[in-house]
Order: sequence, then C-alpha cells, then structure tokens
Amino acid sequence: MIKFVDVSKTYPNGVQALKDINLEIYDGEFVGIIGLSGAGKSTLLRSVNKMIPITSGQLYVDNVEVSSLKGKKLRMMRRGIGMIFQSFNLVKRMSAFNNVLTGRVAYYSAARSIFGFFPEYDKVLALEALDTMGILDKAFTRADQLSGGQQQRVALARALTQKPRLILADEPVASLDPITTLQVMDDFARINKEFGITVIANMHHVDLALKYSTRIIGIKEGQVVFDGLPKEISDDILIQIYGRSLRHDEVLGE
Amino acid sequence: MWYVVIAVIVLLVIFAQFIPFDPNYFMFDQLGVILKKMFTPKGNRTWGDYFAYMWTLRGALLDTMKMSFAGTVIGSVLAVPLAVLSAKNIVKLPVIYIPMRFIMNIFRTIPAMVLAIIAVLFVGTGVLSGIIAITLFSFGIMAKMLYEVIETIDMNPYEALESTGATRMESFRYAALPQILPVYVSYLIYIFEINVRTSAVLGFVGAGGIGAVISDNILYNYDRVGATIILIFFVILFVQFLSNYVRGKLQ
Repeated sequence: MIKFVDVSKTYPNGVQALKDINLEIYDGEFVGIIGLSGAGKSTLLRSVNKMIPITSGQLYVDNVEVSSLKGKKLRMMRRGIGMIFQSFNLVKRMSAFNNVLTGRVAYYSAARSIFGFFPEYDKVLALEALDTMGILDKAFTRADQLSGGQQQRVALARALTQKPRLILADEPVASLDPITTLQVMDDFARINKEFGITVIANMHHVDLALKYSTRIIGIKEGQVVFDGLPKEISDDILIQIYGRSLRHDEVLGE
Repeated sequence: MWYVVIAVIVLLVIFAQFIPFDPNYFMFDQLGVILKKMFTPKGNRTWGDYFAYMWTLRGALLDTMKMSFAGTVIGSVLAVPLAVLSAKNIVKLPVIYIPMRFIMNIFRTIPAMVLAIIAVLFVGTGVLSGIIAITLFSFGIMAKMLYEVIETIDMNPYEALESTGATRMESFRYAALPQILPVYVSYLIYIFEINVRTSAVLGFVGAGGIGAVISDNILYNYDRVGATIILIFFVILFVQFLSNYVRGKLQ
C-alpha cells in the first residue's frame, strides 16, 4: 500500500535526509523504524503524508502518488492517515473529548467547521474512540490534567475518529515511563490487529521495536540498511545500523 | 546590572541641574487652599448640593462608559486581522508581516490625547470623537498584545490538525484559537479598564464625557471638580475590581 521509489529528500539548507529510498509497506503490517537520531526516520515518516515534501522520486500511498497532491486532494489523503507525536500534540486547555472531536474536522466543509458544530455521529464516534482506548471516564477532563500515557491515548482516540487505514507514529512512547510505554505499545498492537490499521512507528528503544513490530526497517544516514523480520536482527546488524553498539537509553530493559 | 543603576542615578543628578528648583514654586499653602476648595461646598451650596451634584453627572459618566466600551470593543475587533497577519508563525512570509507590524507601530506610538485632538478636528467635540480616539488607541494596543500571544502559542496541536487533513484556517480555529481566545478576552477587559481612565481625561480636549465636565468647571467651581474626581475615583475602583475578578475567573 505504500511504495517508495528512489525517494530522496534534501532540505533547503543542503542536508540530504533521505537518499534513494526504495520500500514497500503492505496493509496490516506493524513496521518499526530504528536508527540513530538524525538518521532520517522522522523525515521518512513525515514524507508519507507530505508533511515533509520529497525532493525526488515517487511515493505511492494506495497507488496515489503523494508528492503530486495538493489542496483538497492532499487533505483528503491525509484524512485517512492518523499521526501520533512524541509530545502528544493535544490542545492543553480543551477536554479530552473536544480534542478527540477535532479528528473529524477534515470531514466537513470549511464553513461548517468554523462554527464548531459537530453532528451527533461525530460525538458518538469520539466517545467510542475514547472508550476503545479505555479512558472514557476522562472524557471531560482537561488534556493538561491527564498523565502522559492518558494524553497519548487521547491522541490515539483522535486518530481513530479519522477512521484511518494507516497510523504514522513518531517516537510515540519516547516521553513515557517504562510501564506506561508498554501499555501504550500494547494499545498500538491492539489497534493494528483488531482494526487492521497499518502502523509505521519510529522507535527510539530497539528492544521495544523488536518486540512489537512485524517488520523492522533500519535507517542510517538517510538510507535503508536493514529491511526484514525482527528475528533476523543480530548484534552485528545493530552495529551496522547504529555504527556502534547500543547505548543504555536505546534499550528499554527489564 | 549595577552599572545601569549607577548610570541612571548619575543621569538623574545631571538632569536635575537643568530643572529650576525653586522652593517657592511648591506653594504648599496654596495646595491646602485648593484641596479645601475642592472638597468643601462652595459659597451657598450645602453638602447636600455637593453630593446631589454627583448624581447630575450620571449622564456624563454614562457617556464616558459608552465611549470606553464602544471604543475598546471596536478597536479590539479590528485589531484581530492585523495581529494575525503580523504573527510570524501564521503568515510565515516577511513580505506580509513586516509591513503589518509597521502599521501597528504607527498606531501604538500616537498618544490617546493626540488621537482625541485629531478626532475632534475631524468630527467636532462630543462623544463621537472620544469613541474614535479610543477605538484607534485600543486598536494599537490590542494588535501588539495579541500578535505577541499568537507567536508564543504551542504550534504542536496545529501541526497535528494539519496532519489530519484540516485546512490552515480549520487548524487555526481548532488548535490555535482555543489557546488565544481566553487571553484575548482577558486583554479586552484590561484595555477597557485602561480606557475608562483615559476617556475620563479625553474630555479635556473636547471629546466629551466626564472629562468635559471637569474642564468646564475647573476655573470657577473647584468644589464641583472635587466632587467629580471623587466620583471618578470610585467608578474606576469598581471597574478595576470587576476586571480583576473576571480575569481571574478566566484562568
């Protein structure tokens, strides 16, 4: 469903973040992307929904070439893709429920959205999403009064209301404590299996990536240096990806 | 830091040399006379008259409040597009936000009094000139305060909303606005509070309201001036109290 063909990205300041990426990601996979900070993981992830436009090559999402999309067509494509961020990216003053509702904004015309009227259908969807994530009881609590794990779950609920086929997660658990990390990763795994939503996640912790992914992609200096199953990863391959042995903070432990 | 303090003190001492400091200027005895004239009824007037006079001021007071309220609201509403277009994180293009900020600065540098005088020249004396002056004054203040708020908001939820397929306007409405609105309302009340004081004074240059009353009475009726001042004092005290209360609730 996602196909990178000779994709490269060079930023205006001259930094080449992606070099000739060729990848195919299939529906239903749980892809874990690992590599050093600055290796190009974030750029790779954000190029899928054109949050970062590529500078050469072709990127296909469900047979639609992404880099040529603009305006309404681009927004309609983005609608079907949920995005989860390391810093949750919720509106702190708003309740969890209102944050989740904003996932539906792209489904209406601009005129309707401006006034903030959401139909019953959307409100029910939002509540169901919160329930799926197990935090229905926190629906009307302000986002900044929730714990990190709860906030990320609200973010996941927001993504779910989009009814996405794909979720992109940029270091989704990097800000969470170890126990909450596992709980949220379990949520991702559940969403992937139960709803059949493809998940592509950048992960800082290698052991976490190995545990939850059905496929691992190792990025080094903008290139794919490993593409295979978690069980195929050996210490040697990790040294290839990271250029050194892993540091203490790159392994969750236990 | 200490160098700054010393420099300031030295400058003060130097400047003081240029101020003709004649102890005779102080006329403390005159001060006593004036204060007495302001706060006791004049001639045949009684204390009843003194306080009754305050009641007759209610029309002028209402004018002042109307001026402040209308000017604040209109000026603050007009300030919104200017503030949004001056914010680097929203418009991104210097070719837009630099000229916008320039326009904003022009309005901010003109004192309310000067605006009032100009307004009187255009539309004559009375409340309308006061409203115009306060509108322009509020416009400048609100635009500056607002664009600074807009530039300091968390843009993360805005990015998140764009990633869901929302337009820039929708992303602004759902991610940026909820952060900006409470602060905007707080500023609105604060500027209104400032303007009540400002408009009380604008009457001096013909812009109507309670300032005009003082300017009419200042030559021969000190007691009326005093009564007016007492009234203004309590009104402003009340407005400030209300303002602090409401703004506190907004947090």
